[in-house]
Amino acid sequence: MAKILPKRTVVIVGGGLTAGFIARQITAKGIDVLVLERGGDHRAAAEAKIPNQRDELRWGVQNQLAQNWATETYTLRHSPNEESLPVRRLESFLPGDGLGGAANHWNGQTWRWAEYDPILRTRLESRYGKKAIPADMPVQDWGVTYAEMEPYHDLFERLFGIAGKAGNIKGQIQPGGNPFEAPRQREYPQPPIEITESGQIFNGAVESLGYKSFPMPAANSPGAYTNPDGMKLAPCQYCGHCERFICEANAKASPQVLLYPMLAQRKGFAIRLRAHVLGINYDPKARQVTGVRYLDLQTAEEYEQPADIVVLGAFTMTNTKLLLQDGIGAPYDARTGKGVVGRNFCYQVTSNVPVFFKDRWINPFLASGSTQTVIDDYNGDNFDHSGLGFFGGGYIYSNVTNGRPITTRLLPPGTPRWGTKWKQANADWYLHAFNIAVHGSNYPHRENCLDLDPTYRDAYGQPLLRMTYNLRDNDHRMTEYVTAKAHEIATASGATIVGTPAPRRGDYDARVYQTTHVTGGTIMGSDPATSVVSPHLQHWDAKNLFVVGASVYPHNAGYNPTGPLSALALRLGDDLVRYIESPRML
Amino acid sequence: MTSAKKQPSTRRSFLMSAVAASSALALAPTGDVLSSPSTATETLPVSLDTPAGYASLSPDEAAFVEAMVNVMCPADDLTPSGVDCGLATYIDRQLAGGFGRGDRLYRSGPWKPGKPQLGYQLPLTPEEFFKAGVARVQEACATKFGKHFEQLAPVDADAFLQDIAAEKIVDPQLPLGQWFNELVYPLFVQACFADPMYGGNRGKVFWKLIGYPGLPAFHTRDMVAYRGKQFPGALDPKSIQDFS
Repeated sequence: MAKILPKRTVVIVGGGLTAGFIARQITAKGIDVLVLERGGDHRAAAEAKIPNQRDELRWGVQNQLAQNWATETYTLRHSPNEESLPVRRLESFLPGDGLGGAANHWNGQTWRWAEYDPILRTRLESRYGKKAIPADMPVQDWGVTYAEMEPYHDLFERLFGIAGKAGNIKGQIQPGGNPFEAPRQREYPQPPIEITESGQIFNGAVESLGYKSFPMPAANSPGAYTNPDGMKLAPCQYCGHCERFICEANAKASPQVLLYPMLAQRKGFAIRLRAHVLGINYDPKARQVTGVRYLDLQTAEEYEQPADIVVLGAFTMTNTKLLLQDGIGAPYDARTGKGVVGRNFCYQVTSNVPVFFKDRWINPFLASGSTQTVIDDYNGDNFDHSGLGFFGGGYIYSNVTNGRPITTRLLPPGTPRWGTKWKQANADWYLHAFNIAVHGSNYPHRENCLDLDPTYRDAYGQPLLRMTYNLRDNDHRMTEYVTAKAHEIATASGATIVGTPAPRRGDYDARVYQTTHVTGGTIMGSDPATSVVSPHLQHWDAKNLFVVGASVYPHNAGYNPTGPLSALALRLGDDLVRYIESPRML
Repeated sequence: MTSAKKQPSTRRSFLMSAVAASSALALAPTGDVLSSPSTATETLPVSLDTPAGYASLSPDEAAFVEAMVNVMCPADDLTPSGVDCGLATYIDRQLAGGFGRGDRLYRSGPWKPGKPQLGYQLPLTPEEFFKAGVARVQEACATKFGKHFEQLAPVDADAFLQDIAAEKIVDPQLPLGQWFNELVYPLFVQACFADPMYGGNRGKVFWKLIGYPGLPAFHTRDMVAYRGKQFPGALDPKSIQDFS
């Protein structure tokens, strides 16, 4: 029997980014909160210390900071007609484990999404007509507007010291910034980080084609920075070990640098590490949750943790799995299109065009996770899709984040895979090449969804989450179109050799990393028939249960997900304060 | 392309002395064409950075692996042979360690073959799969050439590996193309470019070859000072051992 612990006001599942923001908001109002995190504290470990932090094999190739697939993985099938199998070593995306979650090993690329993203269906219908959106593409409005979220974006950027150049301040387009940017109330808190040689080459190429480039908004701090909580970031070392790595210099804005050390000093804040949540206690008649069950990984004891409010703040996949396991909300059925939990599961569609410069020193190891320059002209609905046969798009950028030699070496087309010529090509081009890349959207498809696998189980004896997922016609058309634009930029770049453009073709491949941006499964919206949580992230079937993370996104844009996710978490913190004052549907 | 990347003769001598005078050579069968790189005739001081001996590979398996890495990384003006670069040692250590045992790999049944995009689906550990593949390659080699892989002339061995990688050698018992492309080849690349602590990339020979400066990578000033310029630190890369 599980031992029953004293009741807490708020319990949050998952000790990552969103839990840190929620706890910041509610502990400031004197509300007590307990965070349950399945992993440990990385801060004193080898991954956070020189020299082992720089070990590409351990962290960058063997992914030892990410979820251990031996403990829990996901199954995959490309369509509902296929049998699913476990992805036994997933490379495609990398959920985190431990205090800070995936926000420990992110690159730091930080976007507000387009002003129209939270009203995407309205936007597309008004521009292209109601019949233009295919029946199998369930894009939908989020039930919240960008204007409502703007103050929380602003707060997030201050807390994380985001570096960038504003493109649109209160409707005034700003030189040097992103002309497609949603209006912001003021400049970024820090100026852009340094641009790489590749960024300068990219700038020249896009300028010659009439585009306006701008620096990637970055959570990699260009200088010493103190945030409104008095928490500090150190200057970026441009070491090229961001994504898949912990920043040992405390220069990459992360929850274990800026949030948890501050929260540890606050009255009412508690966190339990190595506490793996097994389920949510749900009373369907009362339409309430009463707490969570978790396994203490250090004692193998199971505990029941009662709570007035439960918040799911885990990774996309875990948020969805927990709701499905305890039958909270109707599971989505791809055959009928009915049900909600697991729907609108989306990923990312990226592509590359490599460019090689005989006489330019790219020095890819002089970089951070966000040292890129970008154009946003072919992202989302920033361009006219009439007659194109697809919706969505992606930003195009000079993609140098690192020069780690096992995985980041570009070779010209026709290079043999080994031997003297292979070695010579590595010697000739390692320092002189980069990718012009596309970071593309993935709009929902009726058949792309999550549910519980009927066969395979994790180390705790619980079902694996099953992905029914593939790239669809919309994705294939989008990636061909936007990659062709990247190819035009590559051709205009003056490259000695333009490599073979590689739009994303064929079936979804779990062996190939694209991004860690999986979204959906517990999506937000105004209609309980098509959403799991309300516009205030409150579960439609249990008013004291809230869900936050990229799992609430009804679609995945061509922008990195951290911005809206952080803004939603900060707003949820404020909403919880209001809820506690008067428990109700917000 | 640039003179900076060519190894001057003094540097090359240093590299040669930095690589372990391989245990691998001692283990190789006499008369083995591929395991006798030109450097073998030089008298080399023994480096202490990787202890001699194999932890996983049998002498027969080692003969294959040594021959293979010497085909894939022949001794030439760029690097010593694959064995002298530590590539066989790296592969052996990975097979003998957590990776080879299937750490971090989901290993619960039921087991069924799947589409390639779902990745590895065999009940074998990576170490077991590697060795099963070696046995099948030797079998296919005996059928085609009437001799073991390590007895082939380098040009034949190279062509044979190309055929395996291109899935032209079909084995009824084991997916040789997948074996090579998804297990053997990634280990080869890691052996070349991982930190020398793991047994490959001896003397940081591959980092020097391409111009990767290694650790500690505190580049706040370098980022501006060497933007678009040759970075001098690349001439003398540092590894984990240098900071330990």
